Amino acid sequence: MLTIKNLGYSTDGKDIIKGINYTFEDGKTYAILGNNGTGKSTLVKAIMGMHGYINKHKGKIYMDNDEITDAPLVERAKKGLSITLQEPVRFKGISVKNYLSLGGKHDFSKEKMEEALEMVGLRKEYLNRKVDKTLSGGERKRVELASIILLKPKVVIFDEPDSGIDMMSNTMLKDVFEELRANNTTVISITHREEISRIADRALLLCGGEIKEEGTPEKINKLYKETCDVCDHINEPEEDERV
Amino acid sequence: MERNFSKEFEYISEAYEKSGGEVSNLLAKDIVSIIVSGDQVIGRNTVEGVNIEAETKENFVKLNLNVEDNTRLKKPVHLCVGYLKDFGEQNLEYDIRIGKNAQVNFVSHCSFPSSQEITHNSLANIQLDEGADVTYRDSHFHNDNGFVNLDTKYYIKAGKNASFDNRFELTKSRVGKMNVLMDISLDDDAKAYLETKVKEKMDDRVDINETIHLNGKRSSGIAKTYVVGQDESRAEVINEVYGKGDNAKGHIECDEIIAGEKVELTTIPKLKVINNTAEITHEASVGKINAEQLETLMSKGLTEEQASNMIINGILS
Repeated sequence: MLTIKNLGYSTDGKDIIKGINYTFEDGKTYAILGNNGTGKSTLVKAIMGMHGYINKHKGKIYMDNDEITDAPLVERAKKGLSITLQEPVRFKGISVKNYLSLGGKHDFSKEKMEEALEMVGLRKEYLNRKVDKTLSGGERKRVELASIILLKPKVVIFDEPDSGIDMMSNTMLKDVFEELRANNTTVISITHREEISRIADRALLLCGGEIKEEGTPEKINKLYKETCDVCDHINEPEEDERV
Repeated sequence: MERNFSKEFEYISEAYEKSGGEVSNLLAKDIVSIIVSGDQVIGRNTVEGVNIEAETKENFVKLNLNVEDNTRLKKPVHLCVGYLKDFGEQNLEYDIRIGKNAQVNFVSHCSFPSSQEITHNSLANIQLDEGADVTYRDSHFHNDNGFVNLDTKYYIKAGKNASFDNRFELTKSRVGKMNVLMDISLDDDAKAYLETKVKEKMDDRVDINETIHLNGKRSSGIAKTYVVGQDESRAEVINEVYGKGDNAKGHIECDEIIAGEKVELTTIPKLKVINNTAEITHEASVGKINAEQLETLMSKGLTEEQASNMIINGILS
């Protein structure tokens, strides 16, 4: 269970996210829906305690009632909080097999790793490929999903899980979310796509750094379509303007 | 095995294994192998089509290796070079000729396991005749508690349609002081791939100069250098490519990772196009380990140190 209380983040005197309160329950799937610039990425980075965000936000964060507000990224990960970035980075010389086992830290069997790859639509031969620029954006993203399937975190945040992956793969994403749900993992998808929010249990509408509404995906999608599609409210800085 | 060197062989084998070599390869009768300890050739084996001559004098060994035309060796040629004393000097000179359409894979291991302060100078002149195909794997193992002053120079001439693939690696021990010069000239349709991987630490000093002369038509060459600097180490990498031949293609790439507060790393690319149909590109980066890479691995539960090691090991693998 992940709880955020009064979470806020400001830069250059501008409030990017404003006093967000929410509890993400065990084994549930959530979609945080919002246009570009509404604070989605900032929210994710603040929750994860990533560089430039840790100790710079207001409010408190709890994992299973343990406060992790000041905990560094690795401590949050050890408590079961994980993330996949919108555009996962590449690694020179590291094979998919080595990446999935985190350099041998995890003793996953070859079969387990192949199963995880198969679930995300990659053949077992990919185990010997490198997680470098020879993988396409979509393949790299799928490797990241396979990594999460194997690691089985308590809470995982997917930042734009479908970016780089073709539309036909929504079914695959749904299967991945189902697999994680079966493991009682809480899945939080950050997205601006209705197709992704539809496969969630609950959806939240983020606008102007605030949660404007919470409800069923149908309800939030409708609201998103009616209000956000025509709204140009942007308060999140571009990547290179951030800390 | 040459006479009265069995004890020496035992020591050199131990060092050879530390540098990643497989000792059984040095003894097999169907494999070309040369074992040099200090200024002595203590072991030598050859097969049909390969002639080896050795000349020795104080602190000096010269090897002439001639691979006859059309000789295609299925098993690698093993070169094992060691220096077992604490102090001293070793000078090596290689004259290697690979005949027309011959195919050879060299595996070279240089070990200086007990060096307190030794100097190792090596000069290799390698001639690849038309259509020759050569790979050269050169691994070094020095001593973490001592100092090796290494100066190694390769001058390679690759004839028409020849191919040369060289990988130099010094990642399992400290370096000491190292100066590597690799200069290759390529004739028509010849190809070269040069890759150097070095991990330095303490007050190690590394100078690498890789030069590719794309003289021939459609000749192509790639030089890649990876250096990881720790502690107070310094490195300077100079990659040069000269595009002279029609439609020649060259690429140089240098990645240097700073993994210490007092590390000083430099990369200097030099690209010169003399023929306007030639095409040369380069990529270079010098800096700390990418923060996003670190955070990606840390978000999966690795500590910063574990994540750094995994990234560095990947680059140097």
